[in-house]
Amino acid sequence: MSTLALGVALFLLANLVVALVAAARGPTPADRMLTALLFGSTGTAVMVLLAASGGVAPLIDVALVLALLAAIGGIAFAKRAWHAEGNDHD
Amino acid sequence: MIEWLSAGLLIVGAFFFFAGTVGLLRFPDVYSRLHALAKADNLGLGCVLLALAIQADSLAAALKLLLIWPLVLAASAGIGFAIARRARALGIQPWQKEDAR
Amino acid sequence: MRKLRYGTMIRFLTIRASLFAGLWWILAEGRSDAWLFGCIAVVAATWASLWLWPAAPTPIRLAGVVGFLRFFIWNSIRGGFQVAGMALRGRAALQPALIVLPVNLQNDCARVLLINTLGLMPGTVGVDMDDAGVQLHVLDRRLPVATEAQALEAVISKLFGASS
Repeated sequence: MSTLALGVALFLLANLVVALVAAARGPTPADRMLTALLFGSTGTAVMVLLAASGGVAPLIDVALVLALLAAIGGIAFAKRAWHAEGNDHD
Repeated sequence: MIEWLSAGLLIVGAFFFFAGTVGLLRFPDVYSRLHALAKADNLGLGCVLLALAIQADSLAAALKLLLIWPLVLAASAGIGFAIARRARALGIQPWQKEDAR
Repeated sequence: MRKLRYGTMIRFLTIRASLFAGLWWILAEGRSDAWLFGCIAVVAATWASLWLWPAAPTPIRLAGVVGFLRFFIWNSIRGGFQVAGMALRGRAALQPALIVLPVNLQNDCARVLLINTLGLMPGTVGVDMDDAGVQLHVLDRRLPVATEAQALEAVISKLFGASS
């Protein structure tokens, strides 16, 4: 089981690298913002899988904090996008 | 039994992450890439978390894993909307199929 | 903070403190060796919550929460399968469009929840929102996105306590 978890973790890591390179290449600035999405979902998944595969329980807390920061960041992002144009009510 | 279910969920989860990356590479514009990443990756994460939660030592440990899911969902929903709105503000036109105009 | 009756205030505090205590139990993975820190954290969190989230009756209905979660989980699974299938077929599977849909939700929180949730539902991503409605990007205009968005709107309006 822990071997499978480690295998999936490595597979997701490879996915993350490919996706980050693809997102960072753009072509538009909005494409590059996609990297923020990748860290939240794939990054957290890699963390919990590593925690499960190596029995490193504290990594779960790292994953939880990463998810929490992603959530706060996401809300801040959305609010910023909301106020950016100024002609909308809240 | 639970071992097999858990292993199956992990593989399904990995498949969704893979599909998300494939979508990111193959879809033509930022809007459709957003669909691929937001939906496929979040379902993949849900599968992975569920796979580990059903194997957890205690109920509390399982709930702790599952608590991660709504947080990341909130993140993806907020970031996804922000990116789409920003792309629109930048004047990026959605890709259209030539014969469908 | 608005003035509230003593009994109501006690009720709010009890509910919140129990929520935070439950959260601590989960975070500590059920261990009881750090209960002193747990108690301090629960009291601090409850106290802080009074400033950040004033004690007032929320319009959210419990039955609505259950309905929303069921709808949400089922449709995120559908959305994941759908977009995964499209990704594997490539851009030939796409027929994207920007569409505008009217929204009747009055509550601002409900509208924000709607546009953000739409990004995780099958085939739609919210692009913009104004008083009249939402602007969506859809992956395939042949899909019944308008019906699905209306279903989501109905679920959210129940979540925020509408009787209809």
